[in-house]
Amino acid sequence: MATVLECNGVIKRFGKTTALNGVDLTLDENKIYGLIGRNGAGKTTLLGILAGQNFADEGSVSSYGLPVWENSEVMEKICFSRELSASTAFGPDTRKVKELFRIARIFYPNWDEEYAKRLLVEFKLDIKKPINKLSKGMLSMVSIIIALASRAPITFLDEPVAGLDVMMREKFYQLLLDDYMENPRTYIISTHIIDEASNVFEEVVLVDAGRIMLKRNTEELRAQYAYVSGREDTVSEAIKGLQVVHREGLGKSLTVCVRLNGNEQFEQYDVDVSPVSLQKIFVYLTEQYESTANAAAPALA
Amino acid sequence: MNTNLNTEQSIYIQIARKIEDDILRDILAEGEAIPSTNQLAALYKINPATAAKGVNILVDEGILFKKRGIGMFVTEGGKRQIIVKRKEGFYEKYVVSLVREARQLNIDTEELVEMIKRVQHSGQ
Repeated sequence: MATVLECNGVIKRFGKTTALNGVDLTLDENKIYGLIGRNGAGKTTLLGILAGQNFADEGSVSSYGLPVWENSEVMEKICFSRELSASTAFGPDTRKVKELFRIARIFYPNWDEEYAKRLLVEFKLDIKKPINKLSKGMLSMVSIIIALASRAPITFLDEPVAGLDVMMREKFYQLLLDDYMENPRTYIISTHIIDEASNVFEEVVLVDAGRIMLKRNTEELRAQYAYVSGREDTVSEAIKGLQVVHREGLGKSLTVCVRLNGNEQFEQYDVDVSPVSLQKIFVYLTEQYESTANAAAPALA
Repeated sequence: MNTNLNTEQSIYIQIARKIEDDILRDILAEGEAIPSTNQLAALYKINPATAAKGVNILVDEGILFKKRGIGMFVTEGGKRQIIVKRKEGFYEKYVVSLVREARQLNIDTEELVEMIKRVQHSGQ
């Protein structure tokens, strides 16, 4: 499969904070990626650098074999629809919604005006309203419509559903899939609401503390972990040799989340085996990643 | 096709199983075209690559076959093949767990057999 975007050894510092600490990432053509990480993990910084809106202190970013930074030919192929906010560093954002659409129309050569209009109706959005008068949900809708209608071959959505209620979130994923099937492109979508989005992501990229923790096919990742529960001694026997990523017990009962190696024989033990949600896998792996990172770090004087 | 997916199994395995269910119930007849990958993805709100993976499991098993440029079809004899395959899994999936739960509840063999007969007689 063709690579559309690639970064190597990307480091980004803000003062004394290292926001990205050596990121290597390769994105394939026409896949939907989920970008998952805690607050402050470096998701938005990474998207900004991949989109060429910000520069990396070290490392390289290239798209279709060309460097992204200050390359207008490449940048118009990448749409990074940021989370909008009602106020900017210079005070309230009084631009009207239609002005943002006008800018997008000029910037993105593949912009689909008809589609943008249909989406406006679908989301019941008033384009004459100024940005600072929009609710959180409406702000999310504006960035979603710009991202979808840009028809950019590489589209980033940063927390697109953050301000949306459950009805609108469902609608968003439906619209995204419908359009993706008609007009395939590469998406990266960051979200905190993991489980409802996980069926849409072909692959997930888990980030923590400025690094890529893991990048894997979503279904393969889910199939790799399982809960095993039962009597403490039986469970311990059943999971011998397996990596435990989480453990919780109550009295003599024990539940562990283990990484499977494909040839487990749980049937011979009196234990229950059940699947683990993507959100839980993310939580356990992050906990583990952070505890090993802390252990490896030099002790503070 | 029933459109609820659960979190118990891989999504593509569930897609394959739902297609099988429709073949077993004669909703999809042998020789008939199944819904396209995109239709399945839209119905279940899943990534089309995942839907394709589910369909491909059945292609690999010979239950479905691909007509280039047209779509996927149910193989002649596909229904029988599903029945044979599911019978093999029936013991592991249902009988073993049934006996295990019965043991936990101190239900002896005689009582268990009695219960099975009761279900069969009631025509459920």
